[in-house]
Amino acid sequence: MKNSKMYLSTETMNLGFVRKVEALSGSSVRRCFQCGKCSAGCPMRTFMEHPPNRIVRLLQLGQWERVLAGRSIWYCASCETCSTRCPNKVDLAAIMDALRKLSWDANGPSKESYVQLANRLFIENIKTYGRQYEMRLAAVFNIKSGQFMKDFLLGPKLLTKGKLKVFHQKNRNIGEIEQIFSRIEEMRKKGEAP
Amino acid sequence: MKNVLNYSYYPGCSLHASAKEYDESTKGVFKALRIGLNEVPDWFCCGATPAHNVDELLSLSLCAKNLSLADNVEGDLAVACAACFSRLKTAQHRLTENDIKRKQVETAIAGAVSLEKPVKHLLEILAKDYGLDRLADAVKKPLNGLKVATYYGCLLTRPPDVPELDCCEAPTIMENVIAATGAEPVAWSHRLECCGANFTLSRPGVVLNLSNAILASAKRAGADCIMVACPLCHGNLDIRQKEIEEANGTRYGMPVFYMTQLLGLAVGVPAGKLGLDSMIVNPLPLLKEKGLV
Ligand code: SF4
Ligand code: SF4
Repeated sequence: MKNSKMYLSTETMNLGFVRKVEALSGSSVRRCFQCGKCSAGCPMRTFMEHPPNRIVRLLQLGQWERVLAGRSIWYCASCETCSTRCPNKVDLAAIMDALRKLSWDANGPSKESYVQLANRLFIENIKTYGRQYEMRLAAVFNIKSGQFMKDFLLGPKLLTKGKLKVFHQKNRNIGEIEQIFSRIEEMRKKGEAP
Repeated sequence: MKNVLNYSYYPGCSLHASAKEYDESTKGVFKALRIGLNEVPDWFCCGATPAHNVDELLSLSLCAKNLSLADNVEGDLAVACAACFSRLKTAQHRLTENDIKRKQVETAIAGAVSLEKPVKHLLEILAKDYGLDRLADAVKKPLNGLKVATYYGCLLTRPPDVPELDCCEAPTIMENVIAATGAEPVAWSHRLECCGANFTLSRPGVVLNLSNAILASAKRAGADCIMVACPLCHGNLDIRQKEIEEANGTRYGMPVFYMTQLLGLAVGVPAGKLGLDSMIVNPLPLLKEKGLV
């Protein structure tokens, strides 16, 4: 093994996918030299099957399918620690966003469904109400995920503290919000936006 | 009396619900300091983490629209929630440097994006615009003897080029603000660690784990309480504290204050107007012991 060197080449890399990630994230994937600093500071690494530096490595080695199929990208907390510390200015937090979008658009081959469900409900709430209503979000999440009793004791306590709003205010900009959603959809249909 | 400063105000969804005491105490402190806050009418959700998680264009568009609504109200935009602050600043940053994304967003919101108005977290307004000296002068009841663990969490200072609030790895702005009241900030290890806010709903186990480390670190440092500037951090450290204690077989009993609640006590806002009774971990025994209520 003395003289063995590993080269990154366009054949091993699947440059098409790497380019897609780079365009979406605005960050280089190829610049990473595997120092591991991102993973050293990542608060979520213990929950991930591939820590952040390995995610980048897998992309460099053309094994993006493993990345998209795994749950690591959904366990990233978007805390920006990795992007803050990378000596090569690899914006890993943005790469994680890009990978989630690619997995999301492909209708989530990932095993991690709860995080995706929570994201979906959160976004639907914006579309319907304009703002987040935490109690509604939690209730619908529990029903859809089949965890009816989850946080059962937390609810009443928050209610008595006046922390959960039961009634929704009407937002006068709701029409505007709906239009933002539909214009984005429109752009995507025409291939004008990712 | 005339206000010394005036801002437009984006409270964010949490401040109208689970973090209403943050909203209430912010208004109390700003009124006492004679800083005007005018809420942006019909603002909407910034998209927070879930939107940028899977759909950057949506996230940028929601923020851009909010920024243009804010343009109708006078004054720099004051933001209380660290997550909203991070999203709005990120949008300004990305849309300034990336023409392609800016054009897409302009199509989505059917209008020009306006990126001029400075977006400021409350901390920045208090420490820089209002000023630490003036803040110290406004203190009526010094918080002497109160040991405070100042918790930044992840989004107030990161990534380095976006929030422009303070140094990303060794910030001091929270310590400076609370020290101005006479309280004693403690040195501790977890002030910049993530509490796992994005998993509150989907994977609470993550929160129990990460937030436990934060509470344990504050306890080790000898803090009487934790001070936060983000409703999501607060939700995890305060609302879930009992659950965290049960899951880890320990007991912290650590009150978690919004910075504006502590500042409010110091500058003479009546305790009844700071939402102290909304806190799940009861802060009154501590405040009584220190002679602060
Ligand atoms: S910190 Fe940067 S260079 Fe180092 S392993 Fe992570 S992404 Fe690669
Ligand atoms: S942004 Fe994601 S990958 Fe990066 S350190 Fe935070 S949790 Fe880890």
